[in-house]
Amino acid sequence: MTKPGADRMAGPSRVLVIRVVTIAVLLVLWELTARSGYLYQDVVPTLSAIAGGIFEIVSNPDFYGHLQVTLLEIALALAIGGFLGVVVGIVIGANPFVGQIFEPLIYYLGPTPKIIFFPLLIMWFGIGEASKVAMGTISTFFPVALSVAAGIRHIDPVLIRVGRSYRANALQMATKIYFPAMREPFINGIRLAFGVSVIGVLLAETKFARDGLGFMVTRLYQQFDMPAMYGLVIIIFAFAIAVNWLLGRFVHAGKP
Amino acid sequence: MLQTSGEFAMTNGEQDAVLSVRNVVKEFATAEGPLRAVDDVSFSVGKGEFVTVIGPSGCGKSTLFAMIGGLLHASSGEIRIGKEKITAPHRSISMVFQEESTFPWRTVIDNVAFPLEIAGVNKNERYDRAHVFIRMVGLGGFEKRYPGELSGGMRQRVSIARALASQPDLLLMDEPFAALDEQTRLLLGDKVLQIQQELNQTIVLITHNITEAVQLSDRIMVMSYRPGTLKREIKIDLPRPRSSEIVSSDEFGHYVATIWGDLREEASRGMQDAEERGAGGK
Amino acid sequence: MNGYAGVSRYVPFVLRWLALGVVLLVIEVLIGVGAINEYVVPRPSAIFGALYRVVVEEHVMTYFLITLGEVLAAAAGLVLVGIPFGVFLARKRDYWSAWGNWVAGLAAAPVVLLYPLFLVVFGRSPLTIIMISFVTGVAPVILKTVEGISGTRKVLLDVGRSFNLTEWQSFWKIVIPSALPAMFLGLRLGLIYTMITVVAVEYLITLGGLGSLVGELAERYDLAATYAAVCFVVAVSVVFFLVVERLEHWLRLSA
Repeated sequence: MTKPGADRMAGPSRVLVIRVVTIAVLLVLWELTARSGYLYQDVVPTLSAIAGGIFEIVSNPDFYGHLQVTLLEIALALAIGGFLGVVVGIVIGANPFVGQIFEPLIYYLGPTPKIIFFPLLIMWFGIGEASKVAMGTISTFFPVALSVAAGIRHIDPVLIRVGRSYRANALQMATKIYFPAMREPFINGIRLAFGVSVIGVLLAETKFARDGLGFMVTRLYQQFDMPAMYGLVIIIFAFAIAVNWLLGRFVHAGKP
Repeated sequence: MLQTSGEFAMTNGEQDAVLSVRNVVKEFATAEGPLRAVDDVSFSVGKGEFVTVIGPSGCGKSTLFAMIGGLLHASSGEIRIGKEKITAPHRSISMVFQEESTFPWRTVIDNVAFPLEIAGVNKNERYDRAHVFIRMVGLGGFEKRYPGELSGGMRQRVSIARALASQPDLLLMDEPFAALDEQTRLLLGDKVLQIQQELNQTIVLITHNITEAVQLSDRIMVMSYRPGTLKREIKIDLPRPRSSEIVSSDEFGHYVATIWGDLREEASRGMQDAEERGAGGK
Repeated sequence: MNGYAGVSRYVPFVLRWLALGVVLLVIEVLIGVGAINEYVVPRPSAIFGALYRVVVEEHVMTYFLITLGEVLAAAAGLVLVGIPFGVFLARKRDYWSAWGNWVAGLAAAPVVLLYPLFLVVFGRSPLTIIMISFVTGVAPVILKTVEGISGTRKVLLDVGRSFNLTEWQSFWKIVIPSALPAMFLGLRLGLIYTMITVVAVEYLITLGGLGSLVGELAERYDLAATYAAVCFVVAVSVVFFLVVERLEHWLRLSA
């Protein structure tokens, strides 16, 4: 039963027009604010200044050193946190009793501002790279553990019984039954974990660090080199979105 | 060939009819060209009559329902309620839809009182009037419950009570019992007959269920498969008041057989069509 | 969660706290024995003592109220901006087609990484925190509102039309009530992201509120108090999460 005179679908060209106009308006507003003199100088740099800042960063050899440090920290955090998350996830997923006791702890601890643990991590690990890796590890741990636990719990019990009926030992059960079932939840967990561990590592670097991209941002802020700071923050933000998006495509490509 | 309107008996003369449908046609524009869903349908319904339109799936009866209810404009032809032409949902016509249509966030009584609320009736009065219809459909005591707490059959009763609450000249129902099991359907059918007796309510029912049609109606209009026309009108001469016990009588079986004879041809045309579309389309 | 046949509901709950207690006891002993350096990890007993001190002497209530105020301000933004904007997008499909993906992208993006920019633009003030938390939380509110409104069941709209409701009446009496469950879910998600961002940025720029308290105590090398403050913040965060969950559940049932 359609309403007499139902709306026709939006043409793709109208959508394009709206998008182009929106971006144009935002850019114009930004530029006007930047040139207005209303705000303290460079608080909102002009678009050309920001472009200059981006160029400045990318042509600064220091940038690549810091980038390397940050990437290394993220990679280690994902590896360690991922490993711990898988182990704990399997334990609480495979055993319902243990799961009932400990999973709520992880579930309710998950949505807390983890950066709040950073002062403690500094006490334990100092202000070097280790504390950032630890921060990223904590961020990574929760989504991975919860995803893996859920994945294990949802394994069809028939498959487990089949394994047991053939008297598979623990290792065989692990590799032939649990691991394949775990693959997808694990990948989903890592996707979520990537997002939060990047945030955790970078935020920690902005607070207390000796190197890394976050440290570079803070230093530029203290030097009040705004165009460069804007440029670096934009580069970091764009990079984080790009990798997230890539991971998403990678996950979907792997699906049947 | 199409049977023209003149062959159908207009009860009580057209002037006194509660509902008069004349030469109604509905055509839809589709990618494959114009699709004629309803083709030159005419009939009328007198006061207190129970008329059923029965037909196979895809015969356009739901389209007819929408046009009588004012939710859809006819391509040509005219529909009148009393003396007024229908161009939009008319206040003297209430509709009961096939799908779940109770508002889940309102209590039973707030659901039933809805049309009165829209009409601006104050709270006490509309609750009093809603009570009457709630009891009439057999849901007395459930006023403060939510639809989520009720069974499917009870929810349809709420929809019926809501439709009756505005005291319409015509109650229009589109397969209201389609989602219910057979027993519930028969019992609700009894309820509807009871209500019709009590209120002398004029009812038009759309259905594909033959038993239901014979159990409830004074007259049955059999529709052909697309394009939907009225193939035949059958007068049901079973005594009133009726109850569901009548389903076991001989005459009942006779009517059902007659209707099925008409419908079978149309229904199998429908199935063939669907198969062809399925095979060629994908 | 899987039920474990024959075990009462409270056993896991009790065992959980028992396990935590055992862990704390083990740490206490290890510190006492010198296996763990007590200048890095204070004794759990000292932390408990510090908890009292933090609450009473450090005026934790003031800090808590600052955080709460910032969260509520951002929440007001979620409701007053997020929901109407979601309604707008649901009704104007052109704009939803144009902007929908961007909003979804915003929901997934690490907005908090932009905090230095917000800091520069809005200065060292609560406004920075409120703005960035608002931006972090608003996307799920918008998305869920669009979902709720465009998902209104057609038959319910037909019921409205059959009773000749005006567009306005249909919107307020049918569309909005039908969309409320989705809207509340969006608000719950948004509120949680908002709260996390508020505390995190308070810590990062040391500007009043619970996040800042932790940073201040750490700078004073008051170990036990720092640990206690961290525990307090975690506890507040968990309680907030539970309250919001309960609230959404209750609102969804009565809507």
